[in-house]
Amino acid sequence: MAVACALDAPDPDTLLAGALARDLDRSFERLVIAYRTRIVEFVARMLHDNARAEDVAQDVFVRAYRALQTYPAERTGELRLRSWLYAIAHNLTRNAVRDAPPRSDSLDFDDGEPRAALADPDPGPEEALLRAVAWDSVAEAIGRLSPALRPAFVMRYVDELSYDEIAASLEQPVGTVKASAHRGLLAVRAYLEKNDA
Amino acid sequence: MPEISPDFTTAICARIGLDRYITAESALGGVYVAWSADGVSAVRQSGDEEAFEAWYAERFERRCVPAIEDDSIATAARAKLRGEDADVPIDLHECSEFEQRVLRKAAEIKGGGARPYSWVAREIGSPGATRAVGNALGRNPVPLLIPCHRVVRSDYSAGGYVFGGEAKRALLEREGVNFGAIGEVVRRGFRYVGCDDGYFCLPSCGDIASRLDEPGFLGLHSLEEAHEHGLRPCRTCRPMAA
Repeated sequence: MAVACALDAPDPDTLLAGALARDLDRSFERLVIAYRTRIVEFVARMLHDNARAEDVAQDVFVRAYRALQTYPAERTGELRLRSWLYAIAHNLTRNAVRDAPPRSDSLDFDDGEPRAALADPDPGPEEALLRAVAWDSVAEAIGRLSPALRPAFVMRYVDELSYDEIAASLEQPVGTVKASAHRGLLAVRAYLEKNDA
Repeated sequence: MPEISPDFTTAICARIGLDRYITAESALGGVYVAWSADGVSAVRQSGDEEAFEAWYAERFERRCVPAIEDDSIATAARAKLRGEDADVPIDLHECSEFEQRVLRKAAEIKGGGARPYSWVAREIGSPGATRAVGNALGRNPVPLLIPCHRVVRSDYSAGGYVFGGEAKRALLEREGVNFGAIGEVVRRGFRYVGCDDGYFCLPSCGDIASRLDEPGFLGLHSLEEAHEHGLRPCRTCRPMAA
């Protein structure tokens, strides 16, 4: 995959990282435009709070800018922007989610039972199921996901990041984020089935 | 999912100390319009990005970079520069308190009219500060949006302008200022013009611009003369302040 990319034309993120490395100020609005929708939506899902999402998403970009100011150009040029921004967004939303009072009806499959599904983390049909149901219900289910499962689930099934990118964003092993995303998926599906019934 | 505000990027730029600019069309051709989160901070002739950015950094001590997208401030500024009615927030933080008073006063002058520098000085309560008024207008960071071109010399010649005196005169003429007739009034030694509606005006008052070409207007040499004719000062041009 990496080899194939290297042989193709550079992807937009590589070009953007290069532009940021050359002149951060002149290229920064490009970064905001490229990622604002994703980041605002990700934050909204993580916080389960649309009203605060824009403010927190702005914090994400301010943090990103301040970090880029301190990076040498080589480091900026080699950044994997997507997972890097999600990592900042995750860090900023994590505390807010953790500090929020736990919901008594929080969805969490962490019952200590090993699940057969974890052996095959490729969701396939479940992903299609998620797309088919009303978004309101999914958003409600995401809001009820436990903080441990929510970021990996949202990054994988809503924002469609690769497991490598999610692992980089969350600073967790790939196996762990696969498990979290899948457990989140099972929890969301169970919630949807229960509430549709 | 939440709607993203058109000022999303502007709020971020405000926090990281980065201003942006666009190129907009105006009555004087292309201009750079720079803005912060507080409003438009600069309007300058377009043409040389590097020179503009260097001038901006020097004057405002902030970096200004080309914008990719318009926000609500840029949209309003474009409309206003096209001649449409638009409420454009202006950022005058960099101007002194005196300069701000001068510029706010200049902003009140409606198109079609002009006022002498001394008029502005009196109106802001600093009657001796005519020269300082001229300097403040010369430093106007947002020409066209704050119409400093509508402030002229006491003989109603155009005077200086950041885009050049010729451009100033052309702009005023386009707005309806009748330089020929005003010059004639001044040449005949009149300071005010009496109108048949019971008011008297400055020769450059926008309300009488079209009537100056008609024969038989009442030229007045002084305020006393206006009082003798029982005329009251025009509420638009407030001639007592000149």
